[in-house]
Amino acid sequence: MKVTLRTDVLTNNNKAAEFNRELFESTRTLVVNLMSSPGAGKTTLLEETVRALTEKYRIGVIEGDLATEMDADRIRAMGAKAVQINTHGGCHLDARMVAASLAEFDLEEIDILFIENVGNLVCPSGYDLGQNHKVAVLSVPEGNDKIPKYSQMFMRTELVLLNKIDLLPYLDFSVEEARKDLSEINPQSELLPLSARTREGLHEWFSWIEGAYLKCVQQ
Amino acid sequence: MHEMSLMGDILQLVQEDSSQKGIEKIGKVELIVGEISNAMPDALRMAFDLFREQNLHLFTENAELIIHLEEAEAECILCGTQYRPSQKIALCPNCQVPSGKVLKGETFQVLSYEGSNE
Repeated sequence: MKVTLRTDVLTNNNKAAEFNRELFESTRTLVVNLMSSPGAGKTTLLEETVRALTEKYRIGVIEGDLATEMDADRIRAMGAKAVQINTHGGCHLDARMVAASLAEFDLEEIDILFIENVGNLVCPSGYDLGQNHKVAVLSVPEGNDKIPKYSQMFMRTELVLLNKIDLLPYLDFSVEEARKDLSEINPQSELLPLSARTREGLHEWFSWIEGAYLKCVQQ
Repeated sequence: MHEMSLMGDILQLVQEDSSQKGIEKIGKVELIVGEISNAMPDALRMAFDLFREQNLHLFTENAELIIHLEEAEAECILCGTQYRPSQKIALCPNCQVPSGKVLKGETFQVLSYEGSNE
């Protein structure tokens, strides 16, 4: 006998994402899902972000990694609550893993929660975690070809942080070309050039977060 | 890639439904996989074969995976041209302006399965 299901393969993930989203809404927590390839500088960027915003906002971070607590330790050193999820080889975070880790936070006491996804430009893009915003980090040494090559990531993110712009004088990376490629994949997406190391451009990123936070609490 | 874990999700959905219906064994499983859904059909086929070999008791002898590919399709909101998007998904081939919206190609569904009580 044939049974027709027509069910989305990610149904169970999406249910968990809805659960997370309702929880985030009820506690008015802004949640940002940060995705990039390994080494693009997500953790350094988060260190600087926590350092800059921690006086004004109560910040939490979920660190997704294949293994180790190294990234969570770096964030804790900046004074934010950080919970590590080790995927033990899994290439992305899913909403169920995030839901399980939320038990370690008191979300009423968190204004902004960053989720640092596993370093991977392919797999994390398909998984809704219940976040308000999906943000990609791309770094200058990765090259211009990454935006068209990983178009399925960039079609699903609304902001791309172009990190390590302090290296622009030494490498053949064109910010204009990146902007054009991005607009041809996702015209709604914005590109913000910055350097977590020299702190150039970080203010625009912080303003973006503050704008998103205001929108989140006014809803 | 994570087609093994996707196949785990697929078979979990099928088994939840089949056990509710009192179905003992799974035969043919049909999926719809969109071109820009991030899932790779070949890797899904490999994952299905591996799962079947490791769980022979759950499947009929001729259990197979059928994948219906859904081609990507986009439409320009300016000129109405429908096109099959390349990597530059939003770029309309007619106006050369990034004004395309994806209509199809993101589906990733379990369409159906066959159950048997033999």
